[in-house]
Formats: sequence, C-alpha cells, structure tokens
Amino acid sequence: MSDKIDLGKVYAPSEDIVVREIEGEVVIVPLVSGIGDMEDELFTLNETGRDIWNKIDGSRTVAAVVRELAEEYDAPAGLLEELLVRKMVVEKE
Amino acid sequence: MSRQFVVRRPLPEFTLWEKMASGRAVFSFDFEMTARCNLDCRHCYINLPAGDRAAKKRELGADEIGRLGGEAAALGAVWCLITGGEPLLRKDFFDVYRALHRRGLLLSLFTNATLVDEEHVRFFKKYPPRDIEVTVYGVTKETYERVTRTPGSFDAFLKGLDRLLASGVNVRLKAMALRSNMHEIAAIGDFCRARTKDYYRFDPHLHLRFDRDEARNSGILAERLSPEEVARLERLDPERFGALTAACDELIAPEAPASDCRHLFRCGVGQRSFVIGPEGLLRPCLSLHHPDFLYDLRKGSVADAWTRFVPEVLKRETNRREYLEKCGTCPVVNLCLWCPAHAYLETGELDLPVEAFCRIAHARAEGLKCG
Repeated sequence: MSDKIDLGKVYAPSEDIVVREIEGEVVIVPLVSGIGDMEDELFTLNETGRDIWNKIDGSRTVAAVVRELAEEYDAPAGLLEELLVRKMVVEKE
Repeated sequence: MSRQFVVRRPLPEFTLWEKMASGRAVFSFDFEMTARCNLDCRHCYINLPAGDRAAKKRELGADEIGRLGGEAAALGAVWCLITGGEPLLRKDFFDVYRALHRRGLLLSLFTNATLVDEEHVRFFKKYPPRDIEVTVYGVTKETYERVTRTPGSFDAFLKGLDRLLASGVNVRLKAMALRSNMHEIAAIGDFCRARTKDYYRFDPHLHLRFDRDEARNSGILAERLSPEEVARLERLDPERFGALTAACDELIAPEAPASDCRHLFRCGVGQRSFVIGPEGLLRPCLSLHHPDFLYDLRKGSVADAWTRFVPEVLKRETNRREYLEKCGTCPVVNLCLWCPAHAYLETGELDLPVEAFCRIAHARAEGLKCG
C-alpha cells in the first residue's frame, strides 16, 4: 500500500492501533511492532489533530475531509500523511 | 505555518502521568492468569500443580479476561501486568494476551521462561509487550533445580531466556534470595546484569502462601534468610544500598511518631492499582487475601469494585492495642514489611505485629546507620 495520500480514497483507523481517551487526552497505542520508532512510545493528538482524526472514520474521502476542515485549518492533509506513513490509517478496502 | 498534529513521546515523558498523579485513579492492574505452574519452587506463595484440574476449571476464560480488561481500560488503566502462576501454561495464552492488548493496554509479563518456544518469540515480536520479567533462581543446574524441584527446568530456562534475549524483546531479570540459592546470589546478580540492559533487582522477602497451606508455609519459613543476612545482602548491593541511604531520612524517623490514626491501611493501596486473581476475585493489593477484601468480578464489575468496594475497604480501622502501640508509632515502619495484608498471611489477623518483620526492619535500620 502506498504511503501517499489519494484524495479520492477513503481511509479508516488501522486495526493495528487502539485509540483511547484517557484523562482528556487522545492516545494512540500501537499494537504491532513497526508503528512507533521506539519500543516504548505512545502517540497523542493535539486538538487540531483530534478534530481531523474524528473525521477519518471510513466514511469520507480525503477530499471530503479536507473540504470539511478547509475553512478552519491550514493543512489537514499534513496529519493524514503522517498517519499514513505510520500505518495508523489504512486504505479502506 | 507547519504544525505537529501527532505528538510522539517516550513513555517516561508522557504528560498523562502528571495528570493521573492527582487524586485516586486507576493506573495499572495485575492479572493473575492462573495459580498453576510447571515449576514447584520452594518459596512460592501461589503455585499449584500444572495439572490441577479443579484450579484450571475455576480460571477465567479468555472472553471474561477481555471483558474485565476492557472495563479496567474504561476506568483509565494504562498498564496491565500478566502474571501467575506461570501464564504461558495456559493453552489460550495468545488469545488472552490479545484480548487485553486490543484494549489498548500496555502489557508486561512475568514468566519463568521455561515454556518459551519459537512460536512465543514470533508472537512477542509481532505484538511486543512493554517488558518481560524473568526470575533467575540459580546459575547452575544444581541450584536452580534445588529451588524449582523440577528436573530439566534449568536447561529449559536457559533455552527460553536465550530465545527471548535474541528476539530483541525488552527482558528484565530478577532474583529471589533464599536459603537454597544464597551461596549463588552474587553470581546470579552477575548473570542478570550481563544479560539485561534494564536494572536488576533481588527480593529477600518471602511471602507466606495465599492458600495458608501449612506444609508449604513451613517450607517457605525454612527458606527465609535471617534479618542479619537480609541487611548484609542489601549492604553488598551498591544500587540498592545507595537508594536506601539516599532515602535514609524518610525511612528512619528521628523519633517515634505520635499518632492517633486508627486506619489499618496507611500505604498507597487502592489509589492507583488493583489485582485480579485467576478466578476473577479483585483485591486491592497483591498480598491482601483476607476474605473481607475480595470482590467477585463474576458477579459484578470493575467499576463497582473500584468506585464503591475499594473505598469501603480503605476505611477499615483497628483498636488493637498491640498494633497501635508498636507498629503504629514505630520509627522504622518504613523499612518494615508489615502491612495488614502481610500480617494476615503471617498471623491470621490483620492488625497483629509480626515479630520476624520487626527484627528485619531493625537489622536494616542498623545497617543503614552503620553505612
């Protein structure tokens, strides 16, 4: 699978991660090796990332996500690229 | 303007810990997958025979474990220690592990390593635990198997450990110091330090059996080191003794503290963690086996246990004069193993002083003063 974003495609959270909300923080826990750079690393999303993440739910194309967020944020595609490279989102079959 | 949407942090730097430090909140829990073990260690407080059918029948299933793990995660638990008995003895170990892992829990595993095969290694490489802790009972076949009373266990241990170390999984090694391996304890320390990048620790404090089995308890008592030997071992370990010396002012009060506190539980029990036993009984701490303090998760929920049951446990008070006048005002209580849970295991009462612990605490204090 390509790490490049296709604006026409629909992405969904990978089954190889678990997203949890703990004490108000969105925490992404990798389940398999190769997602974190270090063996004991976790990921959190900042507020903007959290808003974008909530839209990557397997129902919208990237273009639709971008459209929805474009008025509020500068570059939502930046998050998608980062998530895709880390295999936290995968292409919807 | 470029923004960092995803914040990556190594675990120790995670800001979540600071948030969780204020107030009572679940941080972690221990899950005893089974009380059964393939070894028969002389000092063990829990082990039942590997083939104990009745014990096996009472154990939680993978589905139940997954449900309880989910309930704990929903309360905010970040960490789960999978322990036993020997967890790898369960035929459904992979299912159980995955059931907890899928909840987004960071997992640690305690194992004796003797059952680790290539399939386990492939699994751990794919689904890495945060760490695996292995106890080293001896560095020769004679000593190791004197402790485990299981022929062939030393070779199995070496093979399993080598597999884990070669896999790159984070392995931590530790030891129990007992009469049967005391002569090898320095060599065990060297063995562990040479094989793990993490810290090494040993424990000279042997707990009595949770099931109060008298014959097994007398075997454990025979394995306990004397107070002087415990203090001497601590003095000989630079890391441990350094830490104790650094904390000396907190560990030894200048004079007997005056206290009218009648609360039984004065430690951090019930504030951050809990333990779930093989049969689904939740208890506030590992050693607390008094029947008043067990909550049956098969009939309730982790949330009910944590929010209603445990706070009730923590309210328990005592009026027993022996405890209030001795342990309640003891200046070296912070060096002592005494707690209601251990007192119950030793005496059958939650609030009786334990003479053996008292002697160890004072020997440790004496050692620290001399140091």
